[in-house]
Amino acid sequence: MRVQEHPILGRMNTGKEVRFTFDGRKMTGREGEPVAEALSANGVRIHRYTSKNHEPRGIFCAIGRCTDCVMVVDGVPNIRTCITPLREGMDVRTQDGIHAKEAEE
Amino acid sequence: MSIPRYDLIVVGAGPAGLCGAIEAAKAGMRTVVFDENARPGGQLFKQIHKFFGSKEHMAKVRGFHIGEQLLEQAKEAGVEVELNATVLGLYPEHEVTVMKEDGIHHYRGANVLIAAGARENSLPFRGWTKPGVMGAGAAQTMIHLYGVTPGKRALVVGSGNVGLVVSYQLLQAGMEVAAIVDAAPRIGGYGVHASKVTRTGVPILVSHTVLEAKGEEGVEQAVIAEVDEHFQPIPGTEQTLDVDTICLAVGLSPMNQLMKMAGCQMDAGIPVLDENLMTSIPGIYSAGDAMGIEEASSAMIEGRMAGLAAANRIGFLDDASFAAAMAQQREALERLRKGMFAPENRGRTDLTETDEHIPLSQTLLKKGFVTERELEAFPGYTHKVGVHPVIECTQNIPCNPCQDACRFGCIAVGEEITQLPAVQEESKCVGCGMCVASCSGQAIFLVNEDAGEDKATVTLPYEFLPYPEAGARGAALDRSGKPVCEAEVISCKVCPAFDHTALLTISVPKAYAASARFFREGAEA
Repeated sequence: MRVQEHPILGRMNTGKEVRFTFDGRKMTGREGEPVAEALSANGVRIHRYTSKNHEPRGIFCAIGRCTDCVMVVDGVPNIRTCITPLREGMDVRTQDGIHAKEAEE
Repeated sequence: MSIPRYDLIVVGAGPAGLCGAIEAAKAGMRTVVFDENARPGGQLFKQIHKFFGSKEHMAKVRGFHIGEQLLEQAKEAGVEVELNATVLGLYPEHEVTVMKEDGIHHYRGANVLIAAGARENSLPFRGWTKPGVMGAGAAQTMIHLYGVTPGKRALVVGSGNVGLVVSYQLLQAGMEVAAIVDAAPRIGGYGVHASKVTRTGVPILVSHTVLEAKGEEGVEQAVIAEVDEHFQPIPGTEQTLDVDTICLAVGLSPMNQLMKMAGCQMDAGIPVLDENLMTSIPGIYSAGDAMGIEEASSAMIEGRMAGLAAANRIGFLDDASFAAAMAQQREALERLRKGMFAPENRGRTDLTETDEHIPLSQTLLKKGFVTERELEAFPGYTHKVGVHPVIECTQNIPCNPCQDACRFGCIAVGEEITQLPAVQEESKCVGCGMCVASCSGQAIFLVNEDAGEDKATVTLPYEFLPYPEAGARGAALDRSGKPVCEAEVISCKVCPAFDHTALLTISVPKAYAASARFFREGAEA
């Protein structure tokens, strides 16, 4: 959920809107915000599945330390989405082990 | 190939690192700060509450504003700040390796200040890896830097200041907090932080822990249970809460790896420092959370101390100027490190009274609010005719902005900033509300016990949106968060001097003057 008006910080989410895809689905976010936040605002919580036990993982530290939120971004796996700025046209995919999950059309 | 040299290399552009760099650069040193993040300021820009302390500690200023001021000062002093620059290593002769986008770079510093901050501790429990379980700091980052909430309803684990403050901030962002649990038998953070959460209706459950996060693809429920004196869950006490987020606020650990790597003498993860914050290796200093977990207020002072010491060590600051500047910082630090939350009192459970010999509120330690009966013993809790401040500040914490807030000298804290505020008998209250807005702990209310027509008015600090309008009706909540009576909004004042703390004045039946402490629009008593 996006906070529009915050009691202390005032108006938020005023950045330029950009388009990106998540597993092939069209979504929008704010330019320059971390990919992880853009996904969260779109209701996406699962960033990847672990390779051995196929367990879902999402945002844990949000500051680039824990690597739980890594995904395949523009074809590159293991991208820490919490510190990767969102740009127009980004192709973000759920990571399955170290590969991208098949896109849902 | 020549290695770039600096008089001071600082690792970490948080409060400690920036302050150290500012002091060094002001003394004329060539100073650089490396930070792995894309933005400077460390965690300051996520801190939206008003800070504690006194004027010299930037009390009642919100953390992110302090961050802005420090960046401005660093720029003025000529500090170079390099972002997206991760310090990887610290080698003999103060050689520092830094990873940047284009590769690894080497630097050498006459002095090095390690102000790398801390990392959040984690807590393993069944299901703790599910999406939706996150650090409290992660939620803070998402909300305050990017305006995105991690979910709708959270369980917060840990009742230290981080857990309490983040719980309040989740509410401010429009989330619900189902509960705060802490395995310890007492609330760990400031009573005032606990009280401002409790009065909104969030229960704080001590001697409780989280057992499991349930949900198919992410958190949908949390199972909590009471624990015994050995921190073991008591069978049969389990409760299931519908939450989509579990925030862990179970402490911080110093980021001390560089000092370990360099061979600095360590003691249980904490670097051994001399009185100038220098490690066992000459010229290598540490300040802030990296050298022991404390508050941002103390980190800033420590950073300044290290910067001054480095300047003196290599001749940029003469001994006399150094001694004078250092003494000032040391005193400022000592003033912060007093009271019941002072480092030497950490973990103590035997404190039963305040420095003024008033019994500590046990309800506050167990449940997060002070009862009316307990409050009667405190010097800020007074009854008078007409509008007057009622100060529900009952623990010796380092804070005194309320004393300066009143132009008429109505409130006195005294020499030590950890003393309890007292309402002066003779003084006159004009009802301006500056004290209410200046209290970082939101513990001051203006009360008129007899406003006529069998009504009383209560003015309370309010930091939620939307602001209720005059005439709005709802319920007044007591300190425990329980609706106790009907209430009508008289006014909701917002002005720049209050810095986003609105002053909400409600009218309640006279009998509830001493218990009505929060307002929920549309709610029924």
